[in-house]
Amino acid sequence: MQLGFLVDLHLCMGCKGCEIACKVENEVPLSTWRLRVKYVDVGTFPETKRTFTPLRCNHCENAPCERICPVSALHYLDNGIVNIDKERCIGCAGCVMACPYGAIYIDPETQTADKCTYCAHRIASSLMPACVVACPVEANIFGDLDDAASNISRYMQSRTDVQVRKPEKGTNPRHYYVGASQVHLNPLASKREEGYTLFNKLTHLPVGGQH
Amino acid sequence: MAAHEILAATNAVVTLDVALPGIVWPWLVTVNMWAKSIGTGIIFMLFMLLKMYPDQAGKLRFPVTVVSIVFIHIFLLFTLADLHQPFRMWHIFFHPHWTSAITVGAWMATAFVGLLFVLAYLSFIKKDNVAFDKLLTWVVLLAIPVTLYTAALMSQSTARELWQMPTESAQMVFAALLAGSAFMILLGGSKLNYEAKKTLGTVLGLSALMSFILYMSEYVFGPMKAEEVAFVLEYIKGDGPYTVMFWLGQWIAYILPMLLIVLSRASRSENLLKLAAILALAGLWLVKHVWLIIPQLLPMS
Repeated sequence: MQLGFLVDLHLCMGCKGCEIACKVENEVPLSTWRLRVKYVDVGTFPETKRTFTPLRCNHCENAPCERICPVSALHYLDNGIVNIDKERCIGCAGCVMACPYGAIYIDPETQTADKCTYCAHRIASSLMPACVVACPVEANIFGDLDDAASNISRYMQSRTDVQVRKPEKGTNPRHYYVGASQVHLNPLASKREEGYTLFNKLTHLPVGGQH
Repeated sequence: MAAHEILAATNAVVTLDVALPGIVWPWLVTVNMWAKSIGTGIIFMLFMLLKMYPDQAGKLRFPVTVVSIVFIHIFLLFTLADLHQPFRMWHIFFHPHWTSAITVGAWMATAFVGLLFVLAYLSFIKKDNVAFDKLLTWVVLLAIPVTLYTAALMSQSTARELWQMPTESAQMVFAALLAGSAFMILLGGSKLNYEAKKTLGTVLGLSALMSFILYMSEYVFGPMKAEEVAFVLEYIKGDGPYTVMFWLGQWIAYILPMLLIVLSRASRSENLLKLAAILALAGLWLVKHVWLIIPQLLPMS
């Protein structure tokens, strides 16, 4: 079994239900996120549109975070999930530096690395990840990539526009997007202007705790 | 924020997202790399001097060992200080993950420290120069991967395109030779004659030259290879936030020492050599710091 995730960006409406469900399910501290939805506005008024991109750990088949972790705190589960053992983590932040997707952060409460685990604890109880359950339009499709009859496999077979983020890094992500453009997938394809965004003026946050 | 060209046709602007994380590996890591360059570099220099000027370098066996022990411990202390869970450091030894350069480096550095203490014992208590010199060969061989492992760690940082192998390896070796020769010039005092110091000056000058060439190569040609490198280097170009620090580092660590070494050879001035050494050591910190920080400013997602 190799679990994977697919987000159909045609369906996502940026409600952030997945983000909140993840926060609640995993007790993610303030100022940190395991899953987030990024808004990028494209075009020039009046010809504009808003894009939404849910971003989470890609659970790469060739995960740089797993490779660089000095104590195997980041490790593969048999189902392909890249899991984290927070009791073992020494907080070297090597994984934060290695992840090309910016999916790992230092938890300010535990002072250890943390990230999306595809809700491994729920999957162990045969439950879907919290974000999948919360999505009102079923934009999040989760399942076994090794099973050709699974929802995610059939979805991928039916589409020609399935993409991953940063394929050139050779990480072989198991997190896919349908209907994505460069603006969705490439962080350098959009500007990050200083100052206010839609709802806040946060630009940079210090890494939690010591530094 | 660094300037970056977004296609006018898309005019894409991030309007809602989480804040970017701050610097994850801060100045503590810079000190780590800087101190390690001295700690291993001075061992390389002792080995070289014992081969070329055995009569003079013999008196330096114990002082160099002490300097190396001090700076390797500074390196280890700052490595520990940079951990968010420093009291779990022992996990590296009891739960080692051998694909990680951090693990391999920690084990090698530990062995290196152990051998340095044996060297100190041989030179200070047992006063056995023959055994010291035999062991020093093995210490030098171990000092090479201890110097290089940070480069391996940086290249394992898949997200940071700027840190490439084998460039980082070369940079680490040249940094060790530069720092080692600079510190030895200062440490040598009356124990080394001008000829020995001139040799150290040559090592310093050539290391500075090679390092400068590597940085300039990346500065000019890096952006032609990868979008991420181009984006990161904007932080040290034009009116970028790290432009001043970058060029200050290049001048203090490399350009001025090279000029001073040429002048010192013309005038046989040891004071100019010492000034070059001090500048090189100070500038190396700046150079390392800029190169450490700028890839961390890159938005990853």
